[in-house]
Amino acid sequence: MTSLVTARGVSKHFGAVRAVDNVSFEIEKGKILGLIGPNGAGKTTLLKAMLGLTDCDGDLSVIGLDPFRQRKQLMREICFIADVAVLPRWIRVKQLLDYVEAVHPNFTRARAEELLRQTKVQANAKVKELSKGMVTQLHLAIIMAIDAKLLVLDEPTLGLDILFRKEFYANLLNDYFDEERTILITTHQVEEIENLLTDIMFINDGRILLDSPMDALGETYIELMTSGEKAQKARGLGPMAESQIFGKSVMLYEGVSREQLEGLGEIRIPSVADLFVAKIKEARK
Amino acid sequence: MIGHYVALIKRELWEHRSIFVTPIAIASVVMLGTLTALVFVGEFQDELYLAIFAAQNAAGADIPRKAVLTGLFIGSSWLFLLSLGVLTVFYALDSLYAERKDKSILFWRSLPVTDAETVISKLFTALFVIPAIAMIGIMATHLVNLVITSLWVSSKGGDAGMLIWGSVSLFDNWFAMIIVLFAIAIWMSPFIGWFLFVSAWTKRSPLLMAFLPLILIPMFEGIFLRSTHFMESVWGRSAQIPIFTGIDIKLFFDEDNPMHSAANMPEEMVSLLTHLDVGKFVTSVDTWIGIVVCGLLTTAAIYVRRYRDES
Repeated sequence: MTSLVTARGVSKHFGAVRAVDNVSFEIEKGKILGLIGPNGAGKTTLLKAMLGLTDCDGDLSVIGLDPFRQRKQLMREICFIADVAVLPRWIRVKQLLDYVEAVHPNFTRARAEELLRQTKVQANAKVKELSKGMVTQLHLAIIMAIDAKLLVLDEPTLGLDILFRKEFYANLLNDYFDEERTILITTHQVEEIENLLTDIMFINDGRILLDSPMDALGETYIELMTSGEKAQKARGLGPMAESQIFGKSVMLYEGVSREQLEGLGEIRIPSVADLFVAKIKEARK
Repeated sequence: MIGHYVALIKRELWEHRSIFVTPIAIASVVMLGTLTALVFVGEFQDELYLAIFAAQNAAGADIPRKAVLTGLFIGSSWLFLLSLGVLTVFYALDSLYAERKDKSILFWRSLPVTDAETVISKLFTALFVIPAIAMIGIMATHLVNLVITSLWVSSKGGDAGMLIWGSVSLFDNWFAMIIVLFAIAIWMSPFIGWFLFVSAWTKRSPLLMAFLPLILIPMFEGIFLRSTHFMESVWGRSAQIPIFTGIDIKLFFDEDNPMHSAANMPEEMVSLLTHLDVGKFVTSVDTWIGIVVCGLLTTAAIYVRRYRDES
């Protein structure tokens, strides 16, 4: 496996605040990685460092380039949509395509136009005349027409309705993703993307709490739903989190084998959201 | 590769439509003014016929005609120059501020265009594209005005070919105008650099932020140092442009001076070109100080756009 992003001891300080604190990780080619963290966890800072928008300490390499110092070369090979990366309101759709076509060597205009034909976005319209959903469709059409090695999506569906969000991720998976491409997504609506991800990373207070392939989660983390005496016994095995639902106890275990828990109740793989909450609570203890 | 840079300039024209709308507006105003003047002059029918008749018969008197036409040319061009100055100030102040205000900066920065390329494209637009478009406006205005005037003179029985087209040194004046326009742009470039820097740096009201130091510094200098160096070198700069030859413009208004009458003017003085000294401009230390200051401020603008965290 080739590693597309390599981080070794990456840190970023804002005065005394450590937004990213000595993190190390690798992202391999052909993965869809979800970067999950609460507000202020450092995920945007980490993304910015990877996109060359901010400088950082430590070794960070994205497709073999130093993102901050080789940003122009980097931007030919990677794409990003941030929720704050708003399209200029004064520009016309056609002008936008003209501009991207002229400055981006890996942009295929015909592809963007084909994607736009499936929407209500008119070539002559100004961005300010489009609805928020249409602006995102336009932005996405541009991004999907760029042959990029890495696509970074920072809260790409913020403020969009559920229909559009579903469609967005379906398009992403069906029309864009292949084994040559790598996607990095951050979102608050983790339950919407968890079926999409191949890998997951949790970040909190600038540190990585979890970095795992999705299919390995079920081996390490187990959720047990139980009650009564069995619950007492289960508590003895040291769950990392416990909550009550309909009078039953739901316990989450890390590194406890399936055999140990069998017979104590209903066993299942925890949802990413539950795991995330448990991990954050554990880290804050 | 060239297409890459052309796209950056086109982008500026799409966003700042006033760069070409303003010259069109001024050209329309000037043409309208000419038409109004001709209609107004037409009231004095008898005097007019006499004047045209006299002008045609005064064989040796084409110098004053040329002088008057050159004067009209320069007159209508000043309007362009003035609006160009105002336009450039507002353009430069807006160019790196608007993309932060409307939050599109991250989109622009997600494309393979460096911060240096972006900022320099804006400097290039202010220094060369705006003057070039204004020059096209000036030339179009001149041509249309000459056509209107010729038609009018012909309609009154005058010989437009001789009175108008034969008396105007069109290309001389245009060439001179081009030199003046770009010389002014380069001479004033430290201000453009300053406005670009403020535009990249300020969080609010770029106009205020740009002019406040230019007003406060000479005030404090006057109060505490009792000197006026800043005032003279910054506010006085526009009047010090070393492009004109040493002709004292006051001569033309001095009735005792033979030059007061256009008829006594040597022919070569009629062309604007003879009043320019490009060598003096290019070799002036002040020109080069200006270019260096502009370079430093532009570099600072690039640095701010690249290093400042926008969120």
